Amino acid sequence: MDSIIKIDHITKEFKTLNRRVGLKGSFLDLFSRDYKVLKAVNDISMEIKQGEIVGYLGPNGAGKSTTIKMMTGVLEPTCGEILVNGRVPYKNRAKNSENIGVVFGQRSQLWWALPAIESFRILKEIYRIDDKTYKDNLEYFDALVGASDLYYKTVRQMSLGQRTLCDILASFLHNPSVVFLDEPTIGLDVSMKGKIRELIKVLNHERGTTVILTTHDMGDVDALCNRIVIIDKGTILYDNHIENLRKYFGAYRTIRFMFNKHGASKENETVENTMMEIDTLLKEEFSGAKSLSVGMDEKWIDVLLNEDEVPMMKIINCIQERKKIVDMTLQEISTESVIKKIYEGGLE
Amino acid sequence: MTNKKSFTLNKYFSLTKGSIMESLSFRFSMLITVIGNLIYLIVIYYLWKAIYASSSSEVVNGMTFHDTMIYLVLALALFNFMECFIVWSIGRNFQTGQIALELIKPMDYQVFCFFANSGQYLISFFTTFLPTLIIVYLITKGGFALSINLIYFILSVILAIVINFCVDFFVGVICFYTESVWGVNIMKEVVVALLSGASIPLAFFPDRLRTIVNFLPFQAIYNSPLKILIDKSLETKDYITIIGFQIFWVAIMILISRIFWNVSKRIITVNGG
Repeated sequence: MDSIIKIDHITKEFKTLNRRVGLKGSFLDLFSRDYKVLKAVNDISMEIKQGEIVGYLGPNGAGKSTTIKMMTGVLEPTCGEILVNGRVPYKNRAKNSENIGVVFGQRSQLWWALPAIESFRILKEIYRIDDKTYKDNLEYFDALVGASDLYYKTVRQMSLGQRTLCDILASFLHNPSVVFLDEPTIGLDVSMKGKIRELIKVLNHERGTTVILTTHDMGDVDALCNRIVIIDKGTILYDNHIENLRKYFGAYRTIRFMFNKHGASKENETVENTMMEIDTLLKEEFSGAKSLSVGMDEKWIDVLLNEDEVPMMKIINCIQERKKIVDMTLQEISTESVIKKIYEGGLE
Repeated sequence: MTNKKSFTLNKYFSLTKGSIMESLSFRFSMLITVIGNLIYLIVIYYLWKAIYASSSSEVVNGMTFHDTMIYLVLALALFNFMECFIVWSIGRNFQTGQIALELIKPMDYQVFCFFANSGQYLISFFTTFLPTLIIVYLITKGGFALSINLIYFILSVILAIVINFCVDFFVGVICFYTESVWGVNIMKEVVVALLSGASIPLAFFPDRLRTIVNFLPFQAIYNSPLKILIDKSLETKDYITIIGFQIFWVAIMILISRIFWNVSKRIITVNGG
């Protein structure tokens, strides 16, 4: 299959004024020429094939939205080249936009004071969607998520979830070949998230629409993405199948311990102290194991370890020698903790 | 071919339709506008009454009190009609980043802006301008001519709308640099209201200032159409001169605002807004 998006060594720099502190500083800033250059995206490359769903992940401020904006043609890369459907987006913004759909999670392209259907009608004209496609799409969307009740509701009166749903539908209305979803599930409840995931999945599957999705919700990633790209501080940390990532961290385990069931009011204090105690204990015993970490979740104390560094049994033994374990479970590492690990620099 | 063309036009008219419906959904704002206008009219009525009372003659600068009032009432009606909030919408969309969504429409941004606000022109034409015009005509028992000049007037108003839009668009883009809207917009409103003859008839301006104003685009917004409507002494030649002058300014303003936009949009595309 052909790649629909090609990103070739792009870098995006922003110039920002170095702001000074305080009132005096604010006045001085009026005349300041002291700019600093911020590299939001630093020399990244990737190729995305027709029909893929790519999860584009990274902590806040990693450069995700900047990359999306460059792919949609809103931003111009400082250097490097992007091709979307064989076009340079920022040079052919209008032409490019006919074949892409975009949803920025916290914004809406719908007309605020009008029912959603009016926005759809306007989009129909703007994107020159023929009557049949338009009608078919609306019926299709209704069949998928039962959206027809929403069509006639004023956007202003919609809940966040309903509006986001309508925005996503709007972005698919002209059958674009690529859809960019920038945090589409932000702030939504579980059932709406599920609905939106289902919608994206089906549209991707049946229409072959390529979807590029940024999110902080690992549920989205697990439900939708085969491939994930992780970016932090403007550089790509990981770009591969999600399975590979799990394999990479396959040797990671989380063991949860519980030491006393009750403890009532003093419990929290005790758990915290126990956690510290175990932390220092393990650090002393297994000083070679770098990825070893101890956390706390209500009554539970979590020990994250890498079996390649230190066998699990050793840790359990070590703890058992000093403490009475009431309960214990072993957990596979979740995508969430994998990604957290990568954000924290676990891949080096 | 024709089919394709109507297809393109639909693209723009769909925006007009949307904006008509949007303005209609704010019923109360229309009511408030009417009340606000009444208050403004009362103020200018007494203000100019005082001005004429302090003058020794009935006619000041070639205009009677009667003429001045007709002029100012119609100027206000025209102002309400052409008032669009493009500076606000561009400025705010720039600040919030919403502009990114408008940039990725398969449509020229300036044209998009025009049509996305065009419904307001149509609505306020029927809700404020036309009623005011009729009322003034009835009260003054034919205070202005209603003949062939109406055709020129309509043409002139359309040109004025385009010039006004370009000024607004230009000022809206200035907000990219100032990163604030309020001050810029206030300045624009004061400058346009004064130099266009919307708040004081140009006849009252000192000679030198009037000469300068005549070379600026602003008077083509309010003074030109009002002159065509009110001044009974004009001949076909004069109408054509006025309209020719407006067409000149339309061309210049479209050119200037487009160049300015093309230069300034780099602020968004290069620096992310």
